[in-house]
Amino acid sequence: MLRSQRIEALYALLFLAPFLIHLGIFFVFAFVRTVGFSFTDATLIGQSSRFVGFANFVELFREPRFLAALTHSISFMLVVTTLQTFLALALAAVLNQRLRGITFFRTVYYIPSVLSSAAVTVIAIWFFQKTGFLNTFIGYIGSLSPVLLTFGVLFVLAQAVQVGLERWRGLPVPWLDPALATISLVVALALTWGLVGLGVVRPLEARPPEFTWLTNPDRFLGVPIPLWSIVILNTFTTIPTLMLIFLAGLQDIPKSLYEAASIDGATPLQQFFSVTVPMLRPVTFLVITLSLIGTLQMFDQVALMGDAAPLDSIIVLAYYVYNNVFSGEGKVGLASAAALILAGLTFAIVLLQRALGISEKAH
Amino acid sequence: MATQAVRPMRKPDERHLARQRWARAGWVYGTMLALAVFFIGPFYVAFLGSLKDNPLEWPFRYSFPQTQPKNWAAAWRLGQLGAGNPWTGGFAPGAEVPFQISYFVEEGQEPEPPTVTVPTRRAGAGLGAIFDEVQAAPYAQVSEVQEVSRRPAVVGGQPGQIVTYAFTIRYPRGDATASLPTVPRLPLDIEAPRGQRYYAATLDPNRLERRGRVASWDSITPGFFGYVFRNYVRVFNEARDPNTGASFFLRWTANSFFVSLAVVLTTLLFASLGGYALARMYLPGKNYLFAFIVFTMTVPGQATFISNYLVLRDLGLLGSLWGMIVWSAVGAGAVFIMKQFFESIPREIEEAALIDGATPVTTFFRIILPMATPALGALTILTFQGMWNEFFKAAVVLSGQQASYTLPLGLSFFRSAYGVAGDWGLMLASAFLSMIPIIILFVVFQRYFVEGVSTSALKG
Repeated sequence: MLRSQRIEALYALLFLAPFLIHLGIFFVFAFVRTVGFSFTDATLIGQSSRFVGFANFVELFREPRFLAALTHSISFMLVVTTLQTFLALALAAVLNQRLRGITFFRTVYYIPSVLSSAAVTVIAIWFFQKTGFLNTFIGYIGSLSPVLLTFGVLFVLAQAVQVGLERWRGLPVPWLDPALATISLVVALALTWGLVGLGVVRPLEARPPEFTWLTNPDRFLGVPIPLWSIVILNTFTTIPTLMLIFLAGLQDIPKSLYEAASIDGATPLQQFFSVTVPMLRPVTFLVITLSLIGTLQMFDQVALMGDAAPLDSIIVLAYYVYNNVFSGEGKVGLASAAALILAGLTFAIVLLQRALGISEKAH
Repeated sequence: MATQAVRPMRKPDERHLARQRWARAGWVYGTMLALAVFFIGPFYVAFLGSLKDNPLEWPFRYSFPQTQPKNWAAAWRLGQLGAGNPWTGGFAPGAEVPFQISYFVEEGQEPEPPTVTVPTRRAGAGLGAIFDEVQAAPYAQVSEVQEVSRRPAVVGGQPGQIVTYAFTIRYPRGDATASLPTVPRLPLDIEAPRGQRYYAATLDPNRLERRGRVASWDSITPGFFGYVFRNYVRVFNEARDPNTGASFFLRWTANSFFVSLAVVLTTLLFASLGGYALARMYLPGKNYLFAFIVFTMTVPGQATFISNYLVLRDLGLLGSLWGMIVWSAVGAGAVFIMKQFFESIPREIEEAALIDGATPVTTFFRIILPMATPALGALTILTFQGMWNEFFKAAVVLSGQQASYTLPLGLSFFRSAYGVAGDWGLMLASAFLSMIPIIILFVVFQRYFVEGVSTSALKG
């Protein structure tokens, strides 16, 4: 090694020193210690601890609360990732237009993602109360359903009549021709308004909401209802971030591909599935990985719900670990074992992504 | 098809295509407006809720006393009359507050004047109940209730009349020697005899009970903020440290600023140093180190916090803001962003400086850092936002020490302290107050937020 190189390496270490020391204490040492704790019966207040082998891991899988946390975490991860990925992609596809003022909308949509999970969760708990806004809104839509249904039927009819007429005159208009749809919209609105005014169609009477979200003991698709409310909350706040990542990916797709496809006569839907989707595959991979890891490690929302919902219906792995350390005597050994399982799951996802990512490149 | 045989398909003409383009743009904008409602609407209705006396009322009202300009003006004027303070109101010696209330009385019933009392009422539930507030009851004198007018009216299909009564509440100065306190609120209850229903008043009441017979106000001299943003004023006034009497919320805001700014400073310094070394300097095994750094970002905080908690406990930093700062001083993500940035700037500039004989330290601080201003700006915003919103570390380090909470932990504390009583007005108001700095930051520096997400994530 040259002397100048050695000096440069020394400087590099000097520059990196604060970061590396921090990483050493708060990550490497901490992680090794967690591994150590997981094989002992250490507690937060106890002075001494002894080696217990894999007893903690065995105990975990016997404890109903841990098993609940594990199933909740995994189902939460799968449900939210699926919802988020599809919705974020759809949203990005809508937003990927060269139109005036589109950046304004992008900014507006991003707001739920920048606010603190604490503030948003407090608002969400209000939202999910029995007489909170969500139930009010659902009830409102329900009571309006005759009107909305009338409107929908009229719209479809008006559109069908117009498209049929145009085609009969020999114009190849698509079923969803935007210009004709605008006319259908106006016609359907006017007719619905008229029918409601004449009293032919009447909204139902609104009834006080009965459904509880946060204290509901029922399950839907095997997931407790209170956890579903966190699913809704988390999907809502994370979609914008994922949408922006998709959008950046969409803008990297060369325009020429779409031009070539449209010359070959591909419809917009065909273009989406044969150009956009394959070209977006790496970005989709990234989004799915980020989403899987983020949802698996979800902590804030559950901790902030607190006693607004029964703990056993919303507990997830990350909160299970925290709760075991900071309640009762502080079962550090058991919590460490659970934390390692959480870390192991995360690591498995990263490895899986790597493995699939490589085959992706070969493809 | 028969029709096609008769009429061959025409190509759509230019006018038709233009019409389609315009209509499509209209639909896209319409969709985007709908999506904006979807993303912002929940916050809007929650904000409305935070202004209400009962945010959980059913059915949900979009227009209620606090949103009506008539009450804004009245609250302003009454605050001025009560204590010369149009913003937050009060009740000061020498005040004279005239007030009017109208009732609907059904036909065939003789109207009677209502009973007016200034009740002794504690402020709110939870923490506020600990403190003894100066009450208005001992100082307020209610004049005789006089009938002002009667006019016939039909309300809800029932014929009858609307009767208006007036009275004045005074705060006599007494003899000049006694020093009288200024009372923060002037609560009022007005109870009408059976059959009379509340119709209108100088200021709409906070609560109506017993079918409009009993109207009650938290303060009839509230001032503009005291009426419209009543729950927001309560966030500051009611939640106080039981020992010192200092406002918790102000303290938490100061704590949040302190932690966020301190971590921004340490992160800027350490992450740019580390990122530069990783991007540019010679170091054997650098790539392995970098791969390891990326790996650390995927490990959940739950796998490391136990030891970090113990380390901070041994250092005596538990329950202290310094503990949070030390734990968050520099993150792998920040180093990552800075490394990416330094790799994107041309090498020639620093090489020229190095040839001139400057040491790496001088080069870094004199030449590299000034060039990195845009990246440092983005890092500042992202770090500030991250720390302002940080909940997990705060829950680990600061737990139990209410005076050193940061805002997210404070909100969680409010949720458990006021959630039992269902005091949603105060909880929603505190949530909105805690968002203000981030919203301002977002509005001013939105580009950094949006670009920060897409670029840093894509390159990962």
